[in-house]
Amino acid sequence: MSDITPIIIAFIVISIIIAFAIGANDETFAVTYGSKTLTMKQILILATIFAITGAVLLGEAVSKTVGKGVLSIDLTDGITITVLISTIIWLILSSALGLPISTTHATIGSILGIGLLIGGVGGIGWSKLIELSAWWILSPIIGYVITFITYKLLHKHVINKLNGFQQFERAEKVFALILLTVICWTAFSRSGNDVSNSVGIVVGATEGTIEIGVLLIFTGLSFAAGIVILARTLIKNVGTITELRPSTAFAAQVPTAIVLFLGTLFGIPLSGSHMLVASLIGLGKAQHAPKNKGNMRIVFIWFLTFPMAAICAIILYFPISALVLT
Amino acid sequence: MKLLKEKVNPLNEINDKFLAKTLEATKILHDRISDLIEGKLDKEGLKGVILCEKECDKLKEEYIKILFKDKKALPFLVEDRYKIITMVDHMTGKNELLARFIRAFPFGIYDDIKEQLIEFNGLYHECIKDLIDCVILMETNFDEAFEKTFEIELDRRTAKKMKYRMFDKLYQKKDNMLQIYLTSKLIAYTYDVVDAAEGISDYLRGLIIKYPSK
Repeated sequence: MSDITPIIIAFIVISIIIAFAIGANDETFAVTYGSKTLTMKQILILATIFAITGAVLLGEAVSKTVGKGVLSIDLTDGITITVLISTIIWLILSSALGLPISTTHATIGSILGIGLLIGGVGGIGWSKLIELSAWWILSPIIGYVITFITYKLLHKHVINKLNGFQQFERAEKVFALILLTVICWTAFSRSGNDVSNSVGIVVGATEGTIEIGVLLIFTGLSFAAGIVILARTLIKNVGTITELRPSTAFAAQVPTAIVLFLGTLFGIPLSGSHMLVASLIGLGKAQHAPKNKGNMRIVFIWFLTFPMAAICAIILYFPISALVLT
Repeated sequence: MKLLKEKVNPLNEINDKFLAKTLEATKILHDRISDLIEGKLDKEGLKGVILCEKECDKLKEEYIKILFKDKKALPFLVEDRYKIITMVDHMTGKNELLARFIRAFPFGIYDDIKEQLIEFNGLYHECIKDLIDCVILMETNFDEAFEKTFEIELDRRTAKKMKYRMFDKLYQKKDNMLQIYLTSKLIAYTYDVVDAAEGISDYLRGLIIKYPSK
């Protein structure tokens, strides 16, 4: 117990809060809400179950270093805490507004702010930043294109051949089942990944000397609390970007999940949130649905995430560093 | 021998009963109107229409209960199915109104419009039969249901022309105001049922377009 210093306690608290913030911005179940496959109550129950089980069962195995290579300066506790807190603030703020953002985007924005503040232009690993930025631009484009194509193919070869309510109902039930399976798996692995990211901070700070089992349970619970308390509006907003049925939700969600999985496999930093939102916009376009004005708010906050997280980090850096030093 | 029995959906079962009752009410009413035209109406025979309507109400309530509480249909189909059954029930209500009207005020039909009225009555029956067929086809065959909606539209158009032709003849008479009024009401109420049937068929056509098989 004597190893637990105030800075480690601070990291533990922050890891629990960041799990909450990530959960609050989790839109995984949005399409099941939009397609009326599940009610909000069912979504919250399932999301909680998968958040906790994912965190506990997968959390320990996964580890990741967010922002590696973006900073050209040495990482201190003050920098790490500032980055995390500004990410938390921006995540919770956007979740409260019901707008999905990329967590990595917010984190990198914060890191960029610190890098500029401490090291000026030279404090940033520009080549890495440009590489990441390219994927942030490509993520929504990929999501939009694959969903557009999938929907058109599905429409032509499956939906268009259905005749009568009964056939329609049977087909939609199959799509709903596949969709639900994919989403539950996504929620499970996403929770494991996100929670382990937040717990990874503590592992990094203690250099792996503390037992993280209990912490995984707490961060898992916090992640679930984030979904239950704050993610409702976000789930509703994303789920209603365009009119959804299980089949159309399938067209938006499943190819996106596959591409994301392949991206992870090949180490490509695609943004799940950006891809899903763009997929739904692409789906709306493919269905010739009227434009949703709310989409502009989402895209606007994407552009705002980067500078706002940076500004937040710049403002918080000195007070936090002073606190850490004392 | 079938190893796997096909599951019976209670929703479809009730819907079939509901539609059969609607058709039965229409058949009874059609037959009684024919009797009225021939001057041999048995008022008690109209009770059948009222009983069928009551039965339809019960079935509708049961259907809605299963639809919303037991969730036997996919959510996106719930509102469409709900709308269809309430619209058909509304039309059956118009049938009942017509039956009650004839029951309350049986009257003689002018000889010179008898023939047209027989045709009009036949058209009424045909139109409702087409509509019930169309509703049944919606479950299994959008293409045929789509074709049916045009037949119903044609029935309504023909009925409209016939209605005005009969009104033309009727309003030139001056002998018995009550008989003129009651005959015009008979025509108008019958036309209302046909009009309601076309309203439902328009809605069904919209659904067929919405569900992407067209």
